Amino acid sequence: MPLVNFLIYLLTMIGIYSLLAMSLNFQVGFTGLINFGQVAFFLIGAYTSSLLVTKAGAPLALGFLGGMALSGLFGYIISIPTKSLKADYWAIATLAGGEVVRLIALNEGWLTEGPFGVMSIPQPLRWLFSRDTYPLFYLFLVVALVAVAYLVLSLLTNSPFGRNLKAIRDEEDLCLSLGKNTRKLKLQAMVVAGMVAGLGGALFAHYITYISPENFRPIETFLMWAMIIVGGRGNHLGAILGAVVIQLFNVSTRFIGGYVPLGADSMAALRMVIIGVLIVLFLLYAPEGLVKEKKKVYH
Amino acid sequence: MDFSQILANGLVRGAELSLLAIGLTMVYDILGFANFAHTDYAVLGAFLAYSFSQALGLNLLFSVILAAAVTGLIGIGVDKAIFKPLRRKEAKLVISMVCSLGIAIALRNVVRLIWTSHTKRYAIPVLKPIEILGARLTLIQIGIVLTGFLFMILFHLLLHRTKFGKVLRAISDNKELASACAIDSEKMIQWMWFVACVYGVIGGTMIAMEHLLYPRLGFDIIIPVFCAAILGGIGNPYGAMLGALTLGLTENIVLSLDFSYLVSLGGLFDVGPIQISTGYKPAIGFVILVAVLLLKPTGILGRK
Repeated sequence: MPLVNFLIYLLTMIGIYSLLAMSLNFQVGFTGLINFGQVAFFLIGAYTSSLLVTKAGAPLALGFLGGMALSGLFGYIISIPTKSLKADYWAIATLAGGEVVRLIALNEGWLTEGPFGVMSIPQPLRWLFSRDTYPLFYLFLVVALVAVAYLVLSLLTNSPFGRNLKAIRDEEDLCLSLGKNTRKLKLQAMVVAGMVAGLGGALFAHYITYISPENFRPIETFLMWAMIIVGGRGNHLGAILGAVVIQLFNVSTRFIGGYVPLGADSMAALRMVIIGVLIVLFLLYAPEGLVKEKKKVYH
Repeated sequence: MDFSQILANGLVRGAELSLLAIGLTMVYDILGFANFAHTDYAVLGAFLAYSFSQALGLNLLFSVILAAAVTGLIGIGVDKAIFKPLRRKEAKLVISMVCSLGIAIALRNVVRLIWTSHTKRYAIPVLKPIEILGARLTLIQIGIVLTGFLFMILFHLLLHRTKFGKVLRAISDNKELASACAIDSEKMIQWMWFVACVYGVIGGTMIAMEHLLYPRLGFDIIIPVFCAAILGGIGNPYGAMLGALTLGLTENIVLSLDFSYLVSLGGLFDVGPIQISTGYKPAIGFVILVAVLLLKPTGILGRK
């Protein structure tokens, strides 16, 4: 039975990270926006939903929607400087922005409980299930929401809106010269990405039932980057596959931990060394990732 | 805290950051991408210096020099293995930037793997602070300021009195023209990495000497270092120095400000002193960074 429970946990986490990777892929792979502060969406979604439910006594559905809304709003705010900033300046600013959001969660104890974190976050429809069957229900919930996100994002990227985003990624000046409002398009892309990642955050918080600023270290952003680099950018399937590969790697190395003469801290470090090297190797030798983007050619 | 103390603390911080910002800005100028691994090279070097002095029993000063040289060679090696192939493929600069992020994670965790996550301290005797013009400074801090300014002057001489500096400026001005004049820019890029890493290691070691040494230090200082480089005008080494000093001062001034006057509406209400929590110290650089990026993205001195 422990193995089955573990499998359910693994699949649930893969589902949650699929949402985060799809969101990052929507920014990087489709719109060409290099966001190094993706973890901020994750944090905002998780904290907003759990605080709304535990402190304000809001119903769970409202918590989820609030998390998505605030995360989308954050996407709106950080998309404002893309108008005037070069891609690398914006990347630096997002890295710093992600860290500032974590500092706020850490320092504003009256709101977020600071380093102690938010405890006993309620779970949706918990009373309907027994202790053993609830994780399975949650897995279904996550999978269903990943499917919905996949469908919505696919519809968006296959629409004229999505083609405009790809045009920004490939040739922004050309896009401008065709009279497209690239600023507004980027803004819309960031709001959508923020909402998807915010949903991932809310799902994470109500699954784990305890969150603290430690869950949202910058390393989470790099894991999501590893997912889209390994999986391949510019298509949603690649992001999901990347989430599967990286999470499997992450968790399976935890399993073999008992057979390797290394402490937990060293194991974690070794894992991150491999992920860093993986990012570099993929960018050098397989820049398109495992699933290549299907480019349409018009004749 | 009185003003001379704030000024002194700002000067120490500025001296530390400037040596790191110089290397970052140089890589950006010559290769065109933001190197997110820069501070992690510096921390690797600081750990090497720690081991040279603790395990091998070498003199601390000599250990730092040796560590800087070794890290410089590592910098060249990484460039040959990763950035040079990318340059040859003429990959987008964004790819190099994301690669540097991968390198940063790998380096940071190699350090963690070798030296564990525990904080380290250099074997420096703790001495009573000395009072200079009303500011209390430890000997280490005085040494940091002097070393910082010494290396800034050295950098100026390097740029203007050596062939390397001349060639570097030529490449920075016009890469095609430089290579048309038979300048081997690839060779110069190797040297540039070496200098950038050496300066980074000295800056990083100074920060670790004043505070503590731990693997995550590299991430904790990357934002202020970027901020310093951009504040002065990225690509401009003098801007990096000026930006670092400005940031060092601003951080210390902002943290010492008392905002109770604002909240009490000019003395109408009785309010205790209100100061920004030191927990937000890393955020000050960020706020300045965003303000500069939005208002004057070319920085104080402008991009060269």
